[in-house]
Amino acid sequence: MDARLRRVNKEIADCKNDRTSNISLELIDNSPFHLRGSFPGPEDTPYQGGHFEVDIIIPDSYPFQPVKMKFITKVYHPNVSSASGAICLDILKDAWSPVLTLKSTLISLQSLLCSPEPNDPQDAEVAKHYTTSKGSFEETARYWTHIYAGGPGAKDPKGSKSIRDEVAIAGLENAHVDQFEGLGFPRNKVIDVLRRLNYRGANVAQISEDRVVEELLKS
Amino acid sequence: MKVEVKHWHAVAQWRWDTGVSSDDTNKGDDDEGDVCGICRVPYEGCCPACKVPGDDCPLIWGECSHVFHMHCLLKWIGTAASKQQCPMDRRPWVTAERKIGGSPISTGNVTGSNGPTTITADANPPRPPPPGS
Repeated sequence: MDARLRRVNKEIADCKNDRTSNISLELIDNSPFHLRGSFPGPEDTPYQGGHFEVDIIIPDSYPFQPVKMKFITKVYHPNVSSASGAICLDILKDAWSPVLTLKSTLISLQSLLCSPEPNDPQDAEVAKHYTTSKGSFEETARYWTHIYAGGPGAKDPKGSKSIRDEVAIAGLENAHVDQFEGLGFPRNKVIDVLRRLNYRGANVAQISEDRVVEELLKS
Repeated sequence: MKVEVKHWHAVAQWRWDTGVSSDDTNKGDDDEGDVCGICRVPYEGCCPACKVPGDDCPLIWGECSHVFHMHCLLKWIGTAASKQQCPMDRRPWVTAERKIGGSPISTGNVTGSNGPTTITADANPPRPPPPGS
């Protein structure tokens, strides 16, 4: 118990003294066992320019048990749940070792952003988007970085104000959404179905309009 | 001239012979060179469960050459999550035999005696431990 506190305090101090890694740690609600870590999005990725925050909970038996980490900032990435921020990374589970630190684990998260692992996804829909049309995936990830992580403005897709955002967030094309909305389905339902079907890029040709309408009628 | 020694202080200092050159010990704390990787307390200190450093809280060496406080390492190896692997390199943990008198054992940089290296200095300022071993 005391050992855990001592080690965590040391880790927080180490992080403060280290200016080269760009990793920062701060307390949430005054407990050293509930922290907020943050790091910049890695360069040459769709996350570049963003500032990503991570919720960190230090379990009672730390460092013999892994820290619990999840993204506070919304991230569009195959190994991060787009809804909850849950992260799929081996060292946070069965590959944990007590010599890993808060800093080294946050650096691992940063490098996870550089190298998505779509074969072991946390978010299956995002992973499908990544594997079928990488260019479109990157555009969406960049857009998320822009609106959620304060990243630089991506080239804004044209369209109407707040609804347009919904379409871009889902990584879809306005033309496609408009097309099915024109058949009389509610817009948010159309976005939901097209996202689930991965109606993007080259995949669009694989999915018949009848299939989409069928799904729309089902939901 | 006749010199009479009236009294003298014995000064002793010890450190575990971890195979790391003693010159490295004085570099800043964040160098992490001389702390147990599990509890982050210096080797010369004791594991968080003990109060007194020394023979009651010894170090343990793996054949992979990694060193930890024995109590820390045993606690880790005792968990199912460890899969009995060294925390540093994930190789199966094999405790290295260390003989008194210190001939090198299997891997190169594990050398030295089976206990603290003791340096005494009568009336002289403490000297650094002898180089190598």
